[in-house]
Amino acid sequence: MNLLNRKIMLENRKLIPLVFLCCFHLISIESNGQTPLDELMMPKQDLCILVNYEFGRFDQYWEGEVLRKNGTIATVQRRSALVMAAYGITDKLDMYLGLPFVQTNSTIPNGGKFAGTSGLQDLSTGFKYQILDKKTEKHQLSLLASAMFSVPASNYLSDYQPYSLGLKTPQFAWRILGHYQLLSGFYGRALAGYLWKGYTKAEREYYYNNGSYFTPWMDVPNSINFDLTAGKWFWQNSLRVEATLSTQNSVSGDDIRAYNAPQPTNKVDFMRLGGFAHYYFPKINGFGVLGYWNQVIEGRNMPEMSTWGLGVTYQFGIKN
Amino acid sequence: MKKSILLLVLAGIFYSCMKDLPTELAFENYTFSSIDEDGGNWKPVLVENGAAIEISAPSPVDSDSYQAELAELKEILSQASEADKQAVHRWTNNPVVRWNEIALELIAKYNLIPGPNEDGTYTLPNPANPAGPPAFPFAHPPYASRALAYLSVAQFDGMITAWHYKFTFDREAPYLVDESIPHEFAPNPLPSYPSDGAVVAAASVAVLKAMFPLEAEYLENLEQDHLQALMLSGEHVKSDVDAGVIIGKEIAAVALQRASSDGMKNAQTPKSVSDSLENAAFERFGWKWENLEVPRRPVGLTPLFGQVTMWNVPNVEATRPPVPPAPNSPEYLEDVRLLEEYAANRTVERRRIANFWQDGLGTYTPPGHWNDFANRFIVKYKLNTLRSARTLAYMNMAIMDAGISCWDAKYYYHYPRPIQLIEGFETIAGTPNFPSYTSGHSAFSAAGAEVLAYIFPQEANQVREWAEEAAISRVYGGIHWTFDAYVGTNQGINVAQYSIDKAKIDGAD
Repeated sequence: MNLLNRKIMLENRKLIPLVFLCCFHLISIESNGQTPLDELMMPKQDLCILVNYEFGRFDQYWEGEVLRKNGTIATVQRRSALVMAAYGITDKLDMYLGLPFVQTNSTIPNGGKFAGTSGLQDLSTGFKYQILDKKTEKHQLSLLASAMFSVPASNYLSDYQPYSLGLKTPQFAWRILGHYQLLSGFYGRALAGYLWKGYTKAEREYYYNNGSYFTPWMDVPNSINFDLTAGKWFWQNSLRVEATLSTQNSVSGDDIRAYNAPQPTNKVDFMRLGGFAHYYFPKINGFGVLGYWNQVIEGRNMPEMSTWGLGVTYQFGIKN
Repeated sequence: MKKSILLLVLAGIFYSCMKDLPTELAFENYTFSSIDEDGGNWKPVLVENGAAIEISAPSPVDSDSYQAELAELKEILSQASEADKQAVHRWTNNPVVRWNEIALELIAKYNLIPGPNEDGTYTLPNPANPAGPPAFPFAHPPYASRALAYLSVAQFDGMITAWHYKFTFDREAPYLVDESIPHEFAPNPLPSYPSDGAVVAAASVAVLKAMFPLEAEYLENLEQDHLQALMLSGEHVKSDVDAGVIIGKEIAAVALQRASSDGMKNAQTPKSVSDSLENAAFERFGWKWENLEVPRRPVGLTPLFGQVTMWNVPNVEATRPPVPPAPNSPEYLEDVRLLEEYAANRTVERRRIANFWQDGLGTYTPPGHWNDFANRFIVKYKLNTLRSARTLAYMNMAIMDAGISCWDAKYYYHYPRPIQLIEGFETIAGTPNFPSYTSGHSAFSAAGAEVLAYIFPQEANQVREWAEEAAISRVYGGIHWTFDAYVGTNQGINVAQYSIDKAKIDGAD
């Protein structure tokens, strides 16, 4: 970190401290990788690296709208390791790059004896832009937009559910986000997103999706996503803690059929509750740790997934 | 409300730039590679000959009644919508393919294995209460092979009958009688009475309604749509269509009469019968297959499918393969080594093959996959409706016979699956609810390939290669031994020969 940046950083911490912190509030569900989704902006030419581990599990899922167990798959476990980088192109424009490694399996005993799978999932990249940032002595209001794009990073199979690493299709996510914060450190955030998901190629030439399809290509439904977050900064802004309610509604798709495997054409809807905390070490320059927990509480063609994750962040400036 | 509007707008934007995915084989009507004027003399499967089903002689084209029919046809044509005309081209002039696709769709729709109840028991589909749950039928591969065989045999016998009367009465098509009637299809010099398309429609609907009773209304709507399309094509007046419907219904009744007493209704046995088969095998060989699902299924799939009446094989036991290698024999141990090696090295190519041929739950099954191939060849080689029906009839009889022979072996030998004998073994395909030896995929596929190789000799190498790949795919998937696959392939080849021998003397060659 160069001297100038550090100086600016220290000065700004006193006033509006949040602008310069490394930010990785992650969405991480089975299907759409990890995406930064908060109001924090990186300073120009600052780079932040996140290394994250996540563990998810479910032993029930919604078949259509009916929550069920399935002895064939018992409890499905999902582990992922993620490396992600954020870079401040300008103070108002950040760029992201991320790549997760995912591993899945069923617990033993199970009735299906299916092998789990592992591999690199999707390479994601994108931008976040600060449209508006209004600060007064009492509060701060910011408005941001982000566009993220991901492509499969390995030859994994999307049509091997529930063990598939991901949807194996290009995805575009457009999001808009509003953040309102009081001087006391309390804040609220609202986010709306549209996720475009392309076609995924199965390794078969016929499938049923409320009718015959004579093609390996499956249309993965697009979705509309909303998040509502409430949180607070503590300890001179070295810790943030927040809770988020997230929803996804697919705009098309079929239901999982009775006692049948899910497939990428399914209409996947959910409501999920999550908690997230990020601590920035005041005395170890640039380092932070984060942790989170998510629980799907309602869904359609969705696992009742519980997830926790832990990560380390390191932020530093890059010389001109 | 706002959300749904936003949703519609966004959905519209993103879907408008996507191309449609194919829901059927894409082809246009075509000129047939042969007309087969003598087709009415070919030997049918279920009835004595092409004249066994009787229809009345049509009125001549210069008669008042025919002229009235022409006027009626013109009236219908004048009122036809753009959608009606599109329907004509969707059905094409080879509706044998389209009705086969409808059967494949219903197979995929009903190919769902009943799940366990809350208390860990299983309820089986019941034809006396088709709505269930679970819905009847469970269209598993044996069920699918049988549905397709009856469908195709009824179509074939109906086509021979249609051909018989077409060339007996030789009535011209309306577009030739009256130049003001447009012809939607490529020219084919086929007499119009009775309509072969109507025979296919009526026979198919009757057979499929019996096989998929919950789909009666869906099928009847399709039939009405198709019968109207036959007239809108310019090829038929109403009496052509009506006569075709009579033939279709009658031949379907004959087919369903056979189906009602072919033994299928006893194939899914009670537990007592299933246990006695299992014990007999254990006493004879010292091993028995067990279902390992959670909760455990008490009875395997259709233990007595092996006793269903075969089409062209006089005695199922004559096609029963030899005893498989005993567990812990050198040949068996070599197979364990091989399966473990495949499991440890899941290459991209092996995974592709395992998935391509899996045709598992929720799909059109392996018999369906071979019908899909047959349909493509039928269109590629521009077969007429009679030859199309013949191709599918002999192929589906052979496939069903191969299934019966395979099931006989499965429950006679009752050989365990790899997951039962190899500790901790995991698969990438679903292990089915029936014994391992021999592989159904291998037998079905080899039988399908042999008949296709006979009908389309240009494709012989290709289809035999496919059948071998389908067989080994089950080993790559981890759910079969290699001897299940190799022996199953030979079994399918052997069984198919009976159907091919019969086809060779039916008059078509």
